Order: sequence, then structure tokens, then C-alpha cells
Amino acid sequence: MSTAVQQDRRNLFFGIGSALLLLLAWFWAIYMAPPEQHQGEVYRIIYLHVPAAFTAFFSAALLMVFSLITLFMRRPSAGLWAQATAEIGLIYTLITLATGSIWGRPTWGVWWTWDARLTTTLILALLYAGYLIFHSSLAPGPQRDRIAAALGIIIALDVPVIYQSVNWWRTLHQPQSIVRVGGSTMAPEMLMTLLFGFLACLCVAGWLLHLRFGNLKLQQLLEEYSYDAQSQGE
Amino acid sequence: MRRQIIQFRALLSQSIHAEWASAERWLSPLLFSLTVLLLFSFAFGRVEQVFIPQLFVAATFLTAFFALQIAFSRVLEPDMQDRVFDQLRSYPIAPTAWFVSKYILVLMLGLMILTPTLVLANLFINESQQSLLSWPLFVIAACSLLALGALGVLLSTMMLRSNARQILYPLLYFPLTTPVLLAAVESSKALLIDHSSLGNLLSSWLGLLVISGIMYFTLSLLLFGELVKPE
Repeated sequence: MSTAVQQDRRNLFFGIGSALLLLLAWFWAIYMAPPEQHQGEVYRIIYLHVPAAFTAFFSAALLMVFSLITLFMRRPSAGLWAQATAEIGLIYTLITLATGSIWGRPTWGVWWTWDARLTTTLILALLYAGYLIFHSSLAPGPQRDRIAAALGIIIALDVPVIYQSVNWWRTLHQPQSIVRVGGSTMAPEMLMTLLFGFLACLCVAGWLLHLRFGNLKLQQLLEEYSYDAQSQGE
Repeated sequence: MRRQIIQFRALLSQSIHAEWASAERWLSPLLFSLTVLLLFSFAFGRVEQVFIPQLFVAATFLTAFFALQIAFSRVLEPDMQDRVFDQLRSYPIAPTAWFVSKYILVLMLGLMILTPTLVLANLFINESQQSLLSWPLFVIAACSLLALGALGVLLSTMMLRSNARQILYPLLYFPLTTPVLLAAVESSKALLIDHSSLGNLLSSWLGLLVISGIMYFTLSLLLFGELVKPE
């Protein structure tokens, strides 16, 4: 069996495994996790919203790592990984915003409010989008990778601001309840469900990232071959 | 070190000459700032006295941010003409000297925009006899300029090769400078409304502003060398 077919098969298994994990996480969240004392059933969206937010933040950290590798170790593939990470980061940030908005309507009475956490998360989405547009506006090559890597590092530095925003500014959004000094304030059965949801989200993100990296690499190879063919034709 | 200082002086002098060659380059952001301030005054109309400091801070900093963005985005444009930028990249110039010369230029331009904006905003928005201008307010404005300038030079260098820089520059500049804008606005509000001292503010909003400034300057200084490295 060729390497490409083997890789495709591995990707497929990874994808099916991730999807099953995600389904299991949702089943656990909807049917097995206890209802919340004040919000009732509405709160269950937390099991999608919070893992998506963590994955979006994690993508920013990963973007920084790939950007540093591109800049200082000169690995050409790191640039492709960084681009794929920004795309995944954008998707998860949009999921975070959408689920937050759906959750906000019954709890706060509005779809959107200019709250610090919401605003800074929207800023992160804009930065991811800006990074991708910027990347596509430059001619391919090592210089593009270097410039995009510099931008990737700056974007990643926005995440601590988002994370701390609920502590720095008066906000409607609840303060940190999971990762905080003195331990989590969540009930252990809820926390377990949430952490499992996070694991599932990470697996799906990892699968998407791997798939997207493969696509981008293939695209790059095709571009190189087409340039070669053109130059030979001339 | 001596060599770097000589390079820095030469580059700064070249940049200032290029910037001053046409009055349009530094005058247009200033006029833009004046126009936005006028629009703000029209949009809000007569405002109750208690809200004036808040409006003053919001209008001043937003106007200055827009005008500074225009000025900063064009700071490397003269170098792109006649391929000066590419020639400089191939010369043995220390990136630190190059960055600092551009940074100083940007600070000069920023001061030329920010100071009249503060004075004019006080004139247009503040109708009371008591001036809202004070030295601590200028200190806050200068601190925000230190942070914005560093990021301005870095983004301007990044955007040189982009074919969509007119739209991309503000798209990236505004989200990235949000912590600076927030810290500048909150510090100024605390100063004008709560009458906090600079010492007190240093442990809160002004501290964030200073940290942002140091962070953006260090980051820009480190990354600039990578961006101008010849292929």
C-alpha cells in the first residue's frame, strides 16, 4: 500500500475517532451532566462554548510557536502550520462568539453587549481574519513566511489580555471559574464533563489542523510544479 | 556602538528630510484630526457638564488614534520610492539603528498630531472656564504614543509588500492597539473625573499602558531585523 493511501487511512481513523469523541462529549453534556442551580438547562451550552474558547486560545499559543519556529529555525513547513492554525483558531473563535451570543440571550437578555470579554474575543477573531487576509495578500516565499510569523507572534500576545479582561474591567461576563487561584469553583461532575469536552474539541481541532496542513502543502507543491512547467515551456 | 549611532543619525536625518519634503505628509493627518473633532462636536451637540470630561477623553483619543494610524501607515512610503528601501536592506546597516530612527520620526509626527488634538479638543468640547489640559494628561498621551509608535513602525514595515495595505493596516492596527486605547482612556478618565494622581494610576491603568509600551517596543525592535533582512 502506498504511503499516501496509508496516510489517508490514518487521517480517516483520526477523524472518525475525533467525531465520536465529540458526540460522546455532547451526549454527556446533554443527558448526564446535572442541571445548573440558577440557569437550569440553558447553561449546557457551556460545554461547547468554553472548550471552543480554550481551543481558540490554544490555537493562538500554537500560532506563536509555529511563528517562532518560522522566524528563528527557518523551517518552511512551519509557515504552513501557522496558516492552518490561524484558520482553525478563527473557526473556534467564531464558534465561541456564536455560542456565547446564544447563551447571552436568555441569561443577559441581549444577543450582544460591549462587554470586555466579548469585545476582546471579537478582536481576536478580527486579528485571525486580518492575519489570513494579510497572508493571502503577499506573494508566496520565505519573506511572506517571515512577515506573517512576526504578525502571528503579536496576535498571540493578545490572548493574555482576553484572558485577564474579566479581572481588569467591570464586566457582565462571569469571572474565571475554572483556572483560578484557589481551585475551580465548578462542581466536580460539571468540571469533568467540561474537561472531556475540551479534550474532544482539541482532538477535532488537531484533526482539522492536520488535514488543512496537508491541503496547504499539496497546494504549495502544485504551485511549484506549475511554475516549473511554465518556466520550462518558456 | 559608535557605528550604530552614526547610522542612526544618518537614517533619522534622511527620514526627516523625506518627511518634510512635502508639507502634505504631516499636514494632512493634522487636518484629518481637526475634521474628526468637528464631526464629534456636531454628533454630540450640547452635552451636560458632568459628561464633558468623558466626551473629551473619548473624542481626543479616538481622533488621535485615527490620525496617528494615517501618519504611521505612510512612514516608510518615501523609502519605497526609487527602491531606497531595497538598497538599505542590502547595505550593512544595523536594524536597531534603522528601527530607532523610524521610531523617533514616528514619535515626532505623533507629537505633532497629538498635542494640537488635545488643545483643540479642549477648545471645541470643553465649554467651561476650567481647562481639562494638564501635565499628567500629556504624560498619559505620551505614554500611549510610545506604545503606538513602536507598533506603527512594525506594521508599516510588514505592510510594505502587501497589495491590500490600505485596508489591512487599520484592520490590524486597531485591534492590536485596543489595550493601549483602553488603558489611555481609562487612565485619563481616572485623572479627570476621579482626580487620581499619576502615582496611583501607575499601579493600575497607567501601569498597563507602560507595560504595553515596553512590550511593543521590545517586540518591534526584535522583529524589525527579521522583516528587513535581505532574502
